[in-house]
Amino acid sequence: MSGTSRDSIELVIPSDPGRISEADDFLETALRSRGVPDAIVSDMAIAATELVNNAIVHGNKRDATKTVILSLQITDSEVVIRVVDQGEGFDPGQVPDPLAQENLLREVGRGIFIARSLMDDVRYERNPGGGMVVIVRKSLNPA
Amino acid sequence: MKLSFHEKNGVVILEPRGKIMGGPDATVLHDKLHDLIAEKKLKVVIDLSEVDWMNSTGLGILISGLTTLRNNQGDLKLASVTEKIQSLLTITKLVTVFEAYDSVDEAITSFGAAARA
Repeated sequence: MSGTSRDSIELVIPSDPGRISEADDFLETALRSRGVPDAIVSDMAIAATELVNNAIVHGNKRDATKTVILSLQITDSEVVIRVVDQGEGFDPGQVPDPLAQENLLREVGRGIFIARSLMDDVRYERNPGGGMVVIVRKSLNPA
Repeated sequence: MKLSFHEKNGVVILEPRGKIMGGPDATVLHDKLHDLIAEKKLKVVIDLSEVDWMNSTGLGILISGLTTLRNNQGDLKLASVTEKIQSLLTITKLVTVFEAYDSVDEAITSFGAAARA
């Protein structure tokens, strides 16, 4: 790819947690076909499924009339994922610390923490058109 | 994800293959763990050697199996954990919760050691 090349695609997913594997398949196929290294593919796929699941469950509250948009942009230097829901928004800062001893055996509540751990940058924004936008970045040239 | 299983020395070995990322595939592992508990098969090893990766849903399924088995005087142990999953267990501190062994045979043997202790 040239220094200014950009490649962007997107997937629209219904608000059904049972469809989460579509996000994984979409990311894996797109990244592998563009020669992204395996270690980055797995990190992106894990983070994307966490964020899409949160968008379905906490953003859209499993409302079947709402959708989640997962978009992927690849440049020479990084992969960027945007996850957009149509919900009322939620405060990621209110999630209990999954590393606290009393939370270690909880079956849920690690998604945002894992995404933050695997990605270089995770940002939450309110979508002007409604809903929440999560933007995550991962360098293709790790230090 | 595909799931096969067999039994050795009174221990059930579950062998998931692929990715444990939620959706219908992942419920297969959850349901199998809870079926085993209903059948009073309470010593379980999960061989993770063929699991490419998992997300928090997969970790939640492992925790659900672990806590339910321990609440029924059983246990769940992990074997042949891949580098990617080991990394997830480490960053989430779940490495302090699960017993993990390099091989399935070592995990099976550990049940006997615990019984003799």
